[in-house]
Amino acid sequence: MRDRINKLPADADVSYRERLRILRERKLEDTKDKSDISAFADGDDYGAIKPPDDYDFTPVFNHPSGTFVGYEGWSENFYRMMATHPVFIDPCDAFANRWMNCMAWTRPIKFNPDLNYDHLKPDQEKYGIVPGIGADAHFGGDYAIGLSLGWGGLLEKLRKYRALNPGHDDFYDAEEKTIHGIQAWTRRTVEAIDEALKVETHPELRKNLQQMRDTNAHLIEGAPRTLREACQWMCWFNTASREYNRDGAGCQLDETLRPYYERDLAAGIITEDEAKYYIACLLLNDPHYYQLGGLSPDGHDMVSYFSYLILEAADWLDSSCNLTVRVHDSMDRKFLHTAVDYLFKNKNGWPRFSGDQALSEGFMKKGYPVELARQRVAVGCHWMSLPGLEYTLNDCVKINNAKVFRLALDEMMASGGEKSTEELWRRYEAHTARAVRVTAEGICFHLENQVKNEPELMLNLISHGPVEKGLDMSHGGAQFYNMCIDGTGIATVADSFAALEQRIEREGRLTFEEMYDAVRSNYAGPQGEYIRMMLSASERYGGGDTLGDKWAVRISRSFTDQVNSMDEVFAPVKFIPGWFSWSNTIVLGKAVGATPNGRRDGEVINHGANPHPGFRKDGALTAMTNAICAVQPGYGNTAPVQLELDPGMARGPEAVDKICDYILTLFRKGGTLLNINIINAQQILAANENPEAFPDLVVRVTGFTAYFCLLTPEFRKLVVDRILVA
Amino acid sequence: MGVLTAIQRFSLHDGPGIRSTVFFKGCNMRCAWCHNPETLRVEPEVLYYRSKCVGCGACAQVCPSHRVEEGKMVYDRALCGDHGACAQVCFSGALEICGKESTVQDVLHEVMQDADYYAQSGGGVTLSGGEVLLQPQFAAQLLSALHQQGIHTAIESNLNVDFSVLEALLPDLDLVMCDLKLWDEDAHRKWTGAGNARILENIARLSSSGKPFIVRTPVIPGVNDKEEEISAIAGFIGRLPGLVYYELLNFNPLGGSKYQALDVENVFADARPLPEERMQALAAAGQAVCPSVRVG
Repeated sequence: MRDRINKLPADADVSYRERLRILRERKLEDTKDKSDISAFADGDDYGAIKPPDDYDFTPVFNHPSGTFVGYEGWSENFYRMMATHPVFIDPCDAFANRWMNCMAWTRPIKFNPDLNYDHLKPDQEKYGIVPGIGADAHFGGDYAIGLSLGWGGLLEKLRKYRALNPGHDDFYDAEEKTIHGIQAWTRRTVEAIDEALKVETHPELRKNLQQMRDTNAHLIEGAPRTLREACQWMCWFNTASREYNRDGAGCQLDETLRPYYERDLAAGIITEDEAKYYIACLLLNDPHYYQLGGLSPDGHDMVSYFSYLILEAADWLDSSCNLTVRVHDSMDRKFLHTAVDYLFKNKNGWPRFSGDQALSEGFMKKGYPVELARQRVAVGCHWMSLPGLEYTLNDCVKINNAKVFRLALDEMMASGGEKSTEELWRRYEAHTARAVRVTAEGICFHLENQVKNEPELMLNLISHGPVEKGLDMSHGGAQFYNMCIDGTGIATVADSFAALEQRIEREGRLTFEEMYDAVRSNYAGPQGEYIRMMLSASERYGGGDTLGDKWAVRISRSFTDQVNSMDEVFAPVKFIPGWFSWSNTIVLGKAVGATPNGRRDGEVINHGANPHPGFRKDGALTAMTNAICAVQPGYGNTAPVQLELDPGMARGPEAVDKICDYILTLFRKGGTLLNINIINAQQILAANENPEAFPDLVVRVTGFTAYFCLLTPEFRKLVVDRILVA
Repeated sequence: MGVLTAIQRFSLHDGPGIRSTVFFKGCNMRCAWCHNPETLRVEPEVLYYRSKCVGCGACAQVCPSHRVEEGKMVYDRALCGDHGACAQVCFSGALEICGKESTVQDVLHEVMQDADYYAQSGGGVTLSGGEVLLQPQFAAQLLSALHQQGIHTAIESNLNVDFSVLEALLPDLDLVMCDLKLWDEDAHRKWTGAGNARILENIARLSSSGKPFIVRTPVIPGVNDKEEEISAIAGFIGRLPGLVYYELLNFNPLGGSKYQALDVENVFADARPLPEERMQALAAAGQAVCPSVRVG
């Protein structure tokens, strides 16, 4: 943590733009500082900074195994952590504090040892399942609750409902302690600002510090009244929630903050530039996932003047950001154009785009009304959430379909029976069904027990239900349980089926035995390599009405049906299918032997719903996009499109317009989420050779953006391979 | 049947909107800087990308003109011919057949997959090459079929044919894009193998037909990268009704690997694109005498 007090001469230019330029430079310094902390590698930028060298937090354990669990363990440690947490102040920043540590990281044992699910482990291992048991956060809260009440109001609410829910004191004690911890941190921050005011000599920065002090002093108890206070309160919630368990879900940012801006404007206490400065500082504080635009519950376009201000503020900041623009047919075309313009101008991977039509219609198929579906906003890496209403384990649960496929292949080849793609399909489908079932059982185990492991003390506060019922979100506090089950490796499996059908069954170039010998030997020797190349050159997923495309549709439909069928088995819990690997492509790939798509043992599986690189000679985006749109499960969760585009592609307003049309068409065809990297091949190659020479290079790795220099070589390769082949 | 080299989807620079570009094989000019040398001959031919060869020897088993030496395939191109049997067993991508006989249905099957993108963006299908007008019957059938599907159509042509060939296609063409590479007749002949008199005449007749058209000039270092050259071309076309705009295309060096793959000398192997400011200066010269000039 660096000292940023009184570092500028008293006559230095500190206009809002200049302050942001300084803050951006300082952020690069902070990014470099944290590059040697492994917890910050291969993840989102997060906005975290390195703690002071002498900072230490040692948790106290309330479980004999040597870990902390449950309401008491988490609230006690959180309070202790807040009580001693370093305070960070930068006079150029509108807001105080950053996060530096995460309590979840300090647990030597990550899951309560009393909770045993050994009966599920053999199948979880067999099918390469990431079960999500013990996973935290990954659903969205409703910031409006906290913004309307403030910490003092939340404490009052807790007291009110404690009285109505006898027998839930452990819940209410823990929540109160959580808030007291944050208030203590805020109080120490106010004291630190007072100290900074004694040192800082720049008159404008002193003025800023004084306002920062007054803002934070009010927020210890009071609810935010102005845009500045609202943003600072969000910074507090965000940093505290990160410190708790790294929760990074945001909100519908434009509609959440617009009322404060309009009120300030009417009162004559804010300028447009001031508002942009505040928003930019909020985005700098932590690049949470925020949505802009979309449809209101009653169906009108939510893009407002304030939505544009947010984009302009992000442009001023010109740094890592996770803004998502929700696209729909009746949206303001100018807003989409502006968003695409900034994407190409800044080349920082923002904004992303989500598709209202498919997301809403899909979610409604799970029995929800359109008004709710429209409120399910993009607040996570690849996921949507109903703010404060649902518990989801989004992005936490994965089935390794490539591993399931290899298992089915081994089984078929070991049998004395028929060898065909249809026989293989029959076995693959049966194993997938078992994998889905055991995954759902694991999720239900989690729902039953997670509260005894790790309650959601931060997100409970801004959700509808936990405080009212005295129950944790994971354990009956939420109104809805829409549990995410993502498949992974769809392209690996589809390409494998397609290669077998094409080369063995249609062309007769190979027998199943020859293929399997090559696969089992990991394509050893010249003949093995020749067979590998032949299989690899087959009609691939993403090629455009290819065999691979057809198999992918079949795979996705079958998987979708299997996941949906769990709703009846485990009602009232619902399960929503998606295709997303996150950056698990590396670890999931390592668990799978060679596959008949020409992939060698341990190589990565495909990323999300994207085809494997090299899927088509001209790399046509539309062919790839059509393929991904065709495999959408279609129940409100996503199977994202990840694009790598050359900066030259959108030169001039006409080309930007074409990209807008591409985006609109993608979402009309059923697409759910679109992530775009704007980067040229030469730059990424040079950065891969010498990452430190490119400290400000930001890439969208999967759903999240990261500084390239903070990625490990393995992750860098993931990005580089994708971009080079594209 | 038509002989095509490729169909490129999501093309953003070959006409309005999002388009698919269908590349015809065979050309009646020999521009020294051509970045698509594989489209010059009408006949299918084999390209050899040596760097991709893994020396597996599969090609040698089907064609005696091939053998493996020091881990790489070597062959007698003339003896091998262009039958393509060797390329059919090459899965490393080293040997590739360029040029495929395709039916109208084949093309429709590919390009109609992007019909939704055309509809949203005002795009469509562009026939390019090579020279489209060397396969006029196939072009006519394809354009007609596309129009029946409601698809916007365009061609990119050098217009170095009798005007009647183009005229026959005009009813099913929504836009014509043509090249005018040099103003001076002798220079044009020197660098492209053909004079420009017929091209100039055809541009004028095209203008009279009422069909919208775009004229493009590939700006080649040392050939036509002077203000007076651009100004002369712009002055001619700037007066013509129906011109949508005049576009300057910077030199494209990406054909280099194809020259190697074809064993053909690349005269412009060392040339590089012009700096952006130079392109803008040339555009400014054109704008003085032509209402709309763009740098593509």
